[in-house]
Amino acid sequence: MNSRIRHAYVHVPFCRHRCGYCDFTLVAGRDDLFENYFTALGVELKRLNQPIKLDTLYLGGGTPTHLGPDGVKRLFSEFHDALQPLPTAEVTIEANPLDVSESMIEAFHECGINRVSLGVQSLNSVTLKKLDRDHRESDVRQVMNLLGKSGLTVSVDLIIAAPGQTLDLVARDVEEIISLCAHHVSVYCLTWEVGTAFWGKRARGTLTPVVEDLEREMFELVIDQLSDAGYKQYEVSNFAQPAMTCRHNEAYWDCRAWEAFGPGAARFDGRNRTTNLRSVSVWIKKLLNNQSVTGDVDTMTAEGAARERLVLGLRRRCGVDRPAFFQASGFEVDDLAEKSIQEWVAAGFAEDDGRCIRLTRSGMLLSDSLWSAVL
Amino acid sequence: MPFDCKHIRNFSIVAHIDHGKSTLADRLLENTGTVEKRQLKTQMLDDMELERQRGITIKARAVRMEYRHNGELYELNLIDTPGHVDFHYEVSRSLACCEGAVLLVDAFQGVEAQTVANAYAAINEDLEIVPVINKVDLVHARVDEVLLEMEQSLAIEPEEVIRASAKTGIGIDDLLAAIIDRIPPPQGDPEKALQALIFDSHYDSYRGVITYVRIIDGTVTKGQKIRFLKTGVTHEVLDLGQFVPQRRSCDQLAAGQVGYLVCNIKDVEHVHIGDTLSVPGKDGAAAVAGYKPPQRMVYCGLYPSEGENFEELRESLERLAINDPSFEFQPESSEALGFGFRCGFLGLLHMEIIQQRLEQEADLDLVQTAPNVTYQLLLKNGETLEIRNPQDVPDTGQIEEFRQPIVRCNFLVPVEFIGPVMQLCSDRRGVFLKTEYLSPTRAMLSFDLPLGEVIYDLHDKIKSVTRGYGTLDYELQGYFPADLARLDILVGGKKVDALSIICDRRDADRRGRAIVKKLRGEIDRHMFEVALQAAIGTKIIARETISALRKNVTAKCYGGDISRKKKLWAKQKEGKKRMKSIGSVDIPQKAFMAVLETGAERQ
Ligand SMILES: Nc1nc2c(ncn2[C@@H]2O[C@H](COP(=O)(O)OP(=O)(O)OP(=O)(O)O)[C@@H](O)[C@H]2O)c(=O)[nH]1
Ligand code: SF4
Ligand SMILES: [Mg+2]
Repeated sequence: MNSRIRHAYVHVPFCRHRCGYCDFTLVAGRDDLFENYFTALGVELKRLNQPIKLDTLYLGGGTPTHLGPDGVKRLFSEFHDALQPLPTAEVTIEANPLDVSESMIEAFHECGINRVSLGVQSLNSVTLKKLDRDHRESDVRQVMNLLGKSGLTVSVDLIIAAPGQTLDLVARDVEEIISLCAHHVSVYCLTWEVGTAFWGKRARGTLTPVVEDLEREMFELVIDQLSDAGYKQYEVSNFAQPAMTCRHNEAYWDCRAWEAFGPGAARFDGRNRTTNLRSVSVWIKKLLNNQSVTGDVDTMTAEGAARERLVLGLRRRCGVDRPAFFQASGFEVDDLAEKSIQEWVAAGFAEDDGRCIRLTRSGMLLSDSLWSAVL
Repeated sequence: MPFDCKHIRNFSIVAHIDHGKSTLADRLLENTGTVEKRQLKTQMLDDMELERQRGITIKARAVRMEYRHNGELYELNLIDTPGHVDFHYEVSRSLACCEGAVLLVDAFQGVEAQTVANAYAAINEDLEIVPVINKVDLVHARVDEVLLEMEQSLAIEPEEVIRASAKTGIGIDDLLAAIIDRIPPPQGDPEKALQALIFDSHYDSYRGVITYVRIIDGTVTKGQKIRFLKTGVTHEVLDLGQFVPQRRSCDQLAAGQVGYLVCNIKDVEHVHIGDTLSVPGKDGAAAVAGYKPPQRMVYCGLYPSEGENFEELRESLERLAINDPSFEFQPESSEALGFGFRCGFLGLLHMEIIQQRLEQEADLDLVQTAPNVTYQLLLKNGETLEIRNPQDVPDTGQIEEFRQPIVRCNFLVPVEFIGPVMQLCSDRRGVFLKTEYLSPTRAMLSFDLPLGEVIYDLHDKIKSVTRGYGTLDYELQGYFPADLARLDILVGGKKVDALSIICDRRDADRRGRAIVKKLRGEIDRHMFEVALQAAIGTKIIARETISALRKNVTAKCYGGDISRKKKLWAKQKEGKKRMKSIGSVDIPQKAFMAVLETGAERQ
């Protein structure tokens, strides 16, 4: 099995503080758990029966850089030989602007990290405050400067449709990101998740979401601005300069197998997706006691997996190529969704040249309403 | 020990809702030692899940008790009946098995609408009435006034009325004595050919249909063959017994007694409530009068929410009908909802209860269309049509006369609320008949009103304008011409048959606007704009638009997000499955009730 796997994800569940909209698996202000985390991760990695040679490695969180330069190095030392990035591998780390310093960048180089995904979210002080972020726009400018000189590939995360945000503020954020020369941009409309502080505030009426019409306008504006600046939208939320797409994420959408470690991390063996227990402390305790940390298992039939592949494929702007799809899944696209595709084309939600099916922009913007017909 | 008729008393307890019938039954069970004190629960006979949830009696329940009076042992068969109007048919069937009725009146609430209706039902059956004023323990009991109300409205002598409290036990022994002294024993002959009336039944998945009977003449024993006169089929009695209050087997039931028979009948068609049982062959007895089928007041469509469960629904309806003969059902089909049944009920509570029983007892998911009353149409060609479903109304061109059912309503209200009740009735096009004073504080108002105006919310409205003190009862007078029309609803330009209603033309604009507005709130946004229109014939009288969805796309879809997101999408799919699609518009099930929306409060 392992020999087929070329991708790995490691979840680092620590942040300085929890942002009000965030429902990720993480603990804030529990730096005392670092040591146990490293040990537990070591145990989980040892469970691999042979080392994996990696095309891509992704350190996500939480905030991996919250471990500090030494912590990041310590993390890599835990990988030992279990995770072996190939020389051409893409190795990404998610970073908080406040953590990125000269010494952090040195640590990146030392560990073989060659791509940084920076949690910028906005470059406007009011929006950053609204979003409950701990960094300021000036931090971002300084860090982008440092990173620019480092030779690392830089991706920037941007949140739009924050409460109180206007179309104009969105436009200015995007302009500035373009001027800061990010290689890659991920754009997310703010989502309201159950259990977050934002959810409660919305219920109490102290925070108001942006109305849907405006949200759409904002998203369309961003797509246009980034396209004009030479970024290609290659998936719903992701934009890249030529040859700068994120290979790790593309592996997910290609339904390739990947390994994963850390609390709440999910792995995929080509058919089943297994998710680790989400509680950081339970994940640590169980591993230290040599117990299983497996939580949910999503077991798919061959057809179920093919349908999932279709959805993930259609979320990509290149769309789904019929022969390639058949090759990879063993199912013909038209056996799975012929009628739906025809309906989408008729309604202007998709284009079909007989070989390749792509969603149009309006299809992409409404795509969640399409999936129930094909899943 | 067999009892001769002289030592049997059969009676029902009747009253307005909540006056304490079931609680009184508890006390009788306790004082006669039928149920041990530690096993006694409150309103013990209300043992159906829905009865306990709602705190009301839905089904009449029979119980056999023994009581020693003046040194002699008596068998007492009591039937606890429901008080709500919608279950009046249960009361009338119970009365037919009895020689007497205990009439309860709440010492605080006084005489209410169903007090009068039930008392008259008992009088019409020639039953001996044992009047009781209950809840005398209440601090606010107004015993003297209530006695006066009873005298004025029902000609009951105050001296005859037993003062009791079903809660504290006051007067219960007096009541037992009165039951034995005043109610005549049944007049049967155990030696004659068997003649028994089926007054109720239910379906047991192990033992088949269990019939509840009152033996009029003759004796029935285990192993005996009996004939169901209506269908002519013969079955063997495998088991029989009495309710104490659970079923308890015994060897025989003789003239005058009440009990149950088990014959392992799996075919529900064989058993009809109101049918007579006798012995096979030429010596059999004649059929007794039985029951007149009740007047169904409201109809609605019941459809399985998943079309393939149609047969299952039919089976469940048949089984339920064994236990409740007062609703009826006929297959029908709708373009929007597929195959289902048009069901007739005695009222809205009855409708709700049947739907819940189907969902709980048969585990079915149902879509219900809005209830409507029946109408009559006189066509230009001289034909008369009965309309139970608005979609059956033909083109206006063919209609000579459109008639609606009119009921005579009696309202019993404290005098200070006469004004508001008058107002309410005249707003609903009621015709005032008379006012009668039952006591210085209470009056009875009579109106003729369209049934359609009464059935939906008049109960609630009366309660709210009289702060809970007003009650009403109604009786069908007949069908009378009115200016009615069929109002259609179009969704995305397509008429949805299951959403049509019949209404007074003068109300059409208001109703139409209210319905499309309500629908706008019930139907989710789609990927396209959805127009909602109300129309009479080809004339559009109201319109609303559901604007198209603008954005619905998952932003993050990496690694572990995929399973989670897929679950969400799958949930949408489940949700969709439970909706009905008209064209490409998905309409949620509860939207079919939107047509009950009447619009702004009437002036
Ligand atoms: N204080 C007092 N409360 C009573 C008495 N009898 C009944 N109640 C209360 O009145 C309420 C209604 O009692 P039920 O026995 O359920 O009335 P019911 O007539 O059987 O009601 P339906 O079967 O639904 O028509 C309950 O809350 C009883 O506890 C009484 O003698 N005194
Ligand atoms: S920094 Fe990122 S992961 Fe941490 S709490 Fe904020 S949004 Fe969540
Ligand atoms: Mg009761």
